[in-house]
Amino acid sequence: MKFEIQARVERPAGFVLDITEQCEAESLGLVGPSGSGKSTLLDAIAGAAPGARVALDGIDHSSTPMEERAMGYVTQEPLLFPHLTVRDNLLYSPRAASLGEIPEALGIAHLLDRMPRHLSGGERRRAALARAFLSRPRLLLLDEPFGGLDEPRRREAMSLLSHIRRTYRIPMVLVSHLADEVIGLTDWAIRLEDGKAAARGPSLSVLRAHETRIDNYFSAAVISPGRVRLGLVELATGIPESARGEVRLACYAHDILLANQRPAEISARNVFPCVVRSSAPAGSSVLVDLGEIPLRALVTPQAVESLSLKPGSAVFVVIKATSIAYLGPAYS
Amino acid sequence: MGLAATLLSLPCAVAVAWFLERTRSPGRGIVQTLVMMPLVLPPVVVGYLLLRVFSPRGTLGRALEIFGMPVAFHWLGAVAAAAVVGFPLFVMMSALAMKGVDLRLERISRSLGRGAGATFWRVTLPLSWPGILGGALIAFARGLGEFGATIILAGRIPGETQTIPLAIYAELDSPGGEERIWRLILVSVGICFLSVLAARRLDRWHVRRLEMDR
Repeated sequence: MKFEIQARVERPAGFVLDITEQCEAESLGLVGPSGSGKSTLLDAIAGAAPGARVALDGIDHSSTPMEERAMGYVTQEPLLFPHLTVRDNLLYSPRAASLGEIPEALGIAHLLDRMPRHLSGGERRRAALARAFLSRPRLLLLDEPFGGLDEPRRREAMSLLSHIRRTYRIPMVLVSHLADEVIGLTDWAIRLEDGKAAARGPSLSVLRAHETRIDNYFSAAVISPGRVRLGLVELATGIPESARGEVRLACYAHDILLANQRPAEISARNVFPCVVRSSAPAGSSVLVDLGEIPLRALVTPQAVESLSLKPGSAVFVVIKATSIAYLGPAYS
Repeated sequence: MGLAATLLSLPCAVAVAWFLERTRSPGRGIVQTLVMMPLVLPPVVVGYLLLRVFSPRGTLGRALEIFGMPVAFHWLGAVAAAAVVGFPLFVMMSALAMKGVDLRLERISRSLGRGAGATFWRVTLPLSWPGILGGALIAFARGLGEFGATIILAGRIPGETQTIPLAIYAELDSPGGEERIWRLILVSVGICFLSVLAARRLDRWHVRRLEMDR
């Protein structure tokens, strides 16, 4: 989907969102510190904030009232209509003809006759998502859709969303402060700072440039169940055996070990030689860029000294297979 | 008469409350002030102004009379007086009830494809009707006790424009009226007490039913 956004929105507290962006993305991520204007921009796209010119795939929606824009808007807090059952909530949109397989897919089929107050936070969230899907949106607008979920549920909800999005081919705009969500679910990202676009580009590079918690995100080709090829290196990973083709993976920088010699007997499945490209202080640690492959390792200054790491040093990289997490299939 | 007054003002009160609560029109301040006037003006002044408006000599009064609806010195006058003095409370309570409805819910409704009108019917009204009904009860109780405006606009015609306060006033100087006064007082205290109590209960029941934060 081609996004053309030109928004100037003034909020009462003196905050001004001023942004002009154009991009072509399956799904667009909005990142940035809180108060940087992510939600305001989402409001502008939804039609809830006046003063924005929004064109999608060349069609200008600026003067289309909110109810005709067909944007599936899911707010930070899962807001269901409290006076309607879950079923009536899901079928609220005049465009929602029937429930179909959506409640089943989102695991809320057994809750249809309940009132929202009897639902847990996670269930409400899934119901709000289902309601947005069922309104047959041309675009999904998601504001921190997984906030407040615990880690396993968050991962589960992420893969569910990714699955549904691909099945129904709905483009989306995702606001999130978590790098893995943006990288896992979007292919293009805009970084907002103080109401302005500070950076833009493929999600991976936008996040890698600014992420404070240093993670490695990369895509690699599956070559056999659980194993991927990353450049010249073959890695054993913790990905599902069913994963095929190009996949997106993540690995914490502090989970990567460096050694001067090849460790002999070790449980870690991945040991391979590499050349240090550069190193830079990161807080009280040192971030080592491992040149040929897109990975960075976080080590202590003492380790840098005792291994005498400097640009050009040859090292052995050690990564546990289970430290490499699966984010989802790559975008085509 | 109290009931007729309440029903008569219901659509107006809801409309004005919506206007005050959900629009950003520049005229809001003026409208709000005007709506509040009957609450602070001496009732006699309200009655006199209404009399001028509805007088058979005025255009509106004459028009209504032609349609068989004389207001001045008619039971409809008592209805009009009760409606006008109860109106500010009605609007205030209704606006408060609408304020309690999360704006984001209305926004979501619109994003799901329901226009402003449909959103009002399907979201705002279902979530605020107990408060509006509470406002109606309070306005009803207030209208019931209306004296000054009523006596000027409707006069005191037994069996026609005789409201409870007017009846009490009449009994003051009739021999042996004390017992009947007490009976009337008991009735009006009872009705008002129940109305206010019901309004409060309704609101609490509603909040609990939907677990809404307010």
